[in-house]
Amino acid sequence: MKLYRLGTVPWQDSQLLYHSLPRVGREGVILCSPATTYVCIGYFQDVEQEVDVEFCRKNDIPVFRREVGGGATYLDGEQLFFQLIIRRDNPLVPAGKIAFYRKFLQAPIEAYRALGIPAQYREVNDIVANQRKVSGCGAGEIGDYYVLVGNLIVDFNYEMMARVLKVPDEKFRDKIYKTIYENLSTVKREIKQVPPKEELWSLMADKFVEMLGPMEVETMVDEEWRAKTDELAVQFLSDEWLYQKRRPRAGREITIRAGVQVRQKVYKAPGGLIRATTEVQDGVIAAVSLSGDFFFFPEEKLADLETVLVGVSEADVEATLASFYEEHGVESPGVAPADFAQVLA
Amino acid sequence: MQISGYEFPDDLYYDKLHSWARVEGDVVTQGMSKFGQAIAQEIVFVEAPRTGREVEQGQTFMSMESGKWVGRVAALVSGKIAEVNEELEWEPTLVNDSSYEDGWLVKIEMSDPAELDNLMKADSPEMKAFIEEEAEKYKDILG
Repeated sequence: MKLYRLGTVPWQDSQLLYHSLPRVGREGVILCSPATTYVCIGYFQDVEQEVDVEFCRKNDIPVFRREVGGGATYLDGEQLFFQLIIRRDNPLVPAGKIAFYRKFLQAPIEAYRALGIPAQYREVNDIVANQRKVSGCGAGEIGDYYVLVGNLIVDFNYEMMARVLKVPDEKFRDKIYKTIYENLSTVKREIKQVPPKEELWSLMADKFVEMLGPMEVETMVDEEWRAKTDELAVQFLSDEWLYQKRRPRAGREITIRAGVQVRQKVYKAPGGLIRATTEVQDGVIAAVSLSGDFFFFPEEKLADLETVLVGVSEADVEATLASFYEEHGVESPGVAPADFAQVLA
Repeated sequence: MQISGYEFPDDLYYDKLHSWARVEGDVVTQGMSKFGQAIAQEIVFVEAPRTGREVEQGQTFMSMESGKWVGRVAALVSGKIAEVNEELEWEPTLVNDSSYEDGWLVKIEMSDPAELDNLMKADSPEMKAFIEEEAEKYKDILG
């Protein structure tokens, strides 16, 4: 296996190279960073449901569909990518995806720790430090190879991450921004400084060598690999590939990190439309905002209901609603507690 | 029959990637075994391939996602995809909840019935040995 320490590469290469390496029959660890910003979506995502394509087009931000899992993310040169391509039958590969993630994410975890950041693995595929995600990862299967991709986040443009996503309204976008900021951290935020990039690349390279054994280091993309990458570019950079239709979804849900989701659901009850924007942490409501065109008396109790729902597990939402209605004598013609439960759980 | 605590219906064929095949005339229904879904864990997306597409035994032709991992599914027999379970695009967990019934993946018009000889039956010693070995390999996941 070789270590391809490529440094800054064109944004397309930062994705295409790990798709093409297994297709030329090679294992390897690729370390690289994109020269310019772009948005990357997971294999099963529908770009028009996930990304504000119009905004990206107007701002010259390309969008790429990768062959690995996970969600939409905003990528730029402040993130150092690691990409492991390893044969399924390599004796280093453990059985099962959790064991796989746990084992191979140890290299970036050790790199974070060497920087003084107390990173640790969190199922299924997160690296967290001080309860905040510090690296995004995903995996896939290409031919006879497993592919693990992730990043060491030096700095992060939270505003742009929230801006490029497709959201139902600006209030939801604001919620996304705040939740990402609270749940995703960076090297810069954790240690209040930014080490030189070369130092970080060396650190990552060392940690992968410690884990996988000695590797020959290459700094260039050779002819065979380049030819396959260019061949793949025709398909992977086409609109046909990017705009593949995926299943439509009811409402909008964005996973911030494992166990933390921000979602908006809308439900048409007989008495009117109910809309709820909810942040859920490990199955418990952490924040909620209710709106719509239904009647709710006494009106001021709606804000109290939002407060009462915080800390309630999704399983207990309907019972909490029912007891709130009874306790406060709430009347909402045509909208029952069960209707609220539709948008909250 | 049961192997390592998992159900493997006797009338089906199996491969070593944990898929099953039900043969009815020249149509093969393919799905993921109860054991396979247990090690894959909760399936969150299933890609429905195009009907009419030609597939080859052992070649991957569709994908599923679980745990931010996109896994590929190989065809159990060569032939033409006659039908796909479109319900899975809406309810992918049917693969977990109803592995041998509602969670089927595709139906393939088989072009060479002799290929079934490359698959295993539940009551074969090869199948028993294979699943027992897999159960040991994945014991941390299976609990």
